[in-house]
Amino acid sequence: MKRFIPLLVLAAASILFAQAPSPNQATLRMASGDHPVTITGAEGQTLFAADEVMTALGGALGPEGNGFQVSLNNAAAVFGPDSRYAVIRDELIEMPVTPVVLDGRPFVPWQFFQGFLSKAADLDVVWDPAARLLTVRPAQHLIVSVQLSVANIQGISKVVATLSAPVDYAVIKQPQAYVIRFKSPIRAPFPEQTYDDPYVAKATFNGNDLRLDLKSPDVAADAYKLDNPYRVIVDLHKVAGGGVTPVPSIVTPRPVQQAPGIHTIVIDPGHGGKEVGAIGPGGLMEKDVTLQICRKLQDALESKLHARVILTRTDDSIVPLDQRTAIANQFKADLFLSVHMNAAVVKGAHGAETYFLSLEASDELAKKAAEVENAQGGPTSTSGSDLKLILWDLAQQEYLNESSRFAQDIQEEMNRITGVQSRGVKQAPFRVLVGATMPAALVEVGFITNPEEESKLTSDLFQKSVVDALTTAIQRYKTDYETRIGTNHSEPVEATAASTKHGT
Amino acid sequence: MGHSFRRWIALGSAVAALAACHRAAPPLTRNLNVENKVAMRSVSLYYESPDLLLAPEPRSLPLPENPAGALDLVVRELLKGSVNAGVPRLFPDDAVLRGAYLLPDGTALIDLGGPTLSQGWNTGSHQELMALYSLVQTVTANFPEAKQVRVLVNGEPAETLAGHISLTDALRPNAALVSR
Repeated sequence: MKRFIPLLVLAAASILFAQAPSPNQATLRMASGDHPVTITGAEGQTLFAADEVMTALGGALGPEGNGFQVSLNNAAAVFGPDSRYAVIRDELIEMPVTPVVLDGRPFVPWQFFQGFLSKAADLDVVWDPAARLLTVRPAQHLIVSVQLSVANIQGISKVVATLSAPVDYAVIKQPQAYVIRFKSPIRAPFPEQTYDDPYVAKATFNGNDLRLDLKSPDVAADAYKLDNPYRVIVDLHKVAGGGVTPVPSIVTPRPVQQAPGIHTIVIDPGHGGKEVGAIGPGGLMEKDVTLQICRKLQDALESKLHARVILTRTDDSIVPLDQRTAIANQFKADLFLSVHMNAAVVKGAHGAETYFLSLEASDELAKKAAEVENAQGGPTSTSGSDLKLILWDLAQQEYLNESSRFAQDIQEEMNRITGVQSRGVKQAPFRVLVGATMPAALVEVGFITNPEEESKLTSDLFQKSVVDALTTAIQRYKTDYETRIGTNHSEPVEATAASTKHGT
Repeated sequence: MGHSFRRWIALGSAVAALAACHRAAPPLTRNLNVENKVAMRSVSLYYESPDLLLAPEPRSLPLPENPAGALDLVVRELLKGSVNAGVPRLFPDDAVLRGAYLLPDGTALIDLGGPTLSQGWNTGSHQELMALYSLVQTVTANFPEAKQVRVLVNGEPAETLAGHISLTDALRPNAALVSR
């Protein structure tokens, strides 16, 4: 009997361990069966041994630089021990904590596998901490949670649906309502909620639909989506002639003439608040000069062009870059001009240059364009409706030719009227231009880092010549554009653009 | 980096006691300097020239054969600045490289940090453009596998470095910014 005791102890121990698994283990459950996975903890999060999970999935893990690469189905993702973000095909996978490396083995939170497997294998991953169960299953079971906010900003009611994962959707117009139909199951934050908002009466979730009931029928919507985090945004505003739209005090009355043309212009004084921009050797701050010039430009454009002119900021405040462009989009501006002062470390840099947007990462944009087509092409979408589906990153694309002409006019008049050296018209991926749904340019008036130009930028005479140059350029572009589309009946631009050249 | 390293050491020590309970797994982190013969290799680092464009500066560096291992070292060397005292630094003096990765799709991921870039860099678009594209040009010129550069700040996506150039998408080399 004695010789059986060790066997009994061993059997009892194995039963004990089977019932109470090691605190360092979890179970990976897949269609093919269960697999043990080593886990560890960091900052209150559970992290999983990436090599064990990848092996169970039939994938691979190896070193990459000072980080690691996982691969499956010809897709690869890379992560490092210093970042909460992994990268797959130029997209980021956000993790709640940075991966840790123990004995050379990387441990990652389950959100890494969720992000990677949804992109690499159309799989969904769910972690049940109570059961210590990591489940990998086909993605059709993915349920996306939605958070909803409604806010009225400068006369536009912004409905923002923040999603836990990207979801295609369609926007459907109904009598006095809009319905956002998500193309995956969603987890609603509430069944129904009323709002004290000028346009939105009530939001109701029903199945995959989010219904926005409106307070009046003459409200139009623009819908678009943003990444990081994933958001579907619906901007609601009064349609033209549909009543009084609340506008900020900085907005001048809309001109009577409503034929197509350049009627509304948004001017963007660069930087502001603690984002001071470039600083000159004498201490001049870019944010102050841009505001001074733009205020004068607003006055000049209103008096000479009788245009409706909106400044993105009228005081020393911080305005996020996307919001500057959003203001132009919300007011249906016909032109957008951002005004900046330049800086260089090379001594003697001087002159003015004008930029319009260059499109970087064309593969990425092509992919996003395909997403737009897919989102618009479903049976539930409203092709031909008055809704406009805009992807922020693509917004400026269709205006690049016009933006190029506008930038050329700006640069030529800056050179002709102010006499500063022309550094030419250039393209670069300026963030403030990306989302503009109208011709848009950015002018760098001069180098604030150059003592001579810094001194000039403070002078009323030079600032006036810059304002003259920009006003003339905008008038020239307006005349040219309206002539091309057949709505201009005014004098040729040369006759109206007489300006004196100021000294340099 | 130092903080992370100390954290690794601490975590490594903490799990050492558990090691006996676990099946020892072979370490996955290879010593690239051993596996890839380190040799002096010629690289071109891009800095701003007096014509306000980027120009290559040849440098000879001890680098492993493996591009993934060499990328980090080349970018660190770029951030040190030119050997020519007359050539100004493009990035802030306190800018650091937190990590550099080469992805199979041709994207180089460059994770930058340091006080100035973290708190908001006050400079104009020209300097921001020169700094970013010195990085893009240096990476793509020395690593044919890298077609584009995605820049993160402190391991997270950033809108811009100094309020101008969008970092939302990866940046591709721009010949118009390079001196001929």
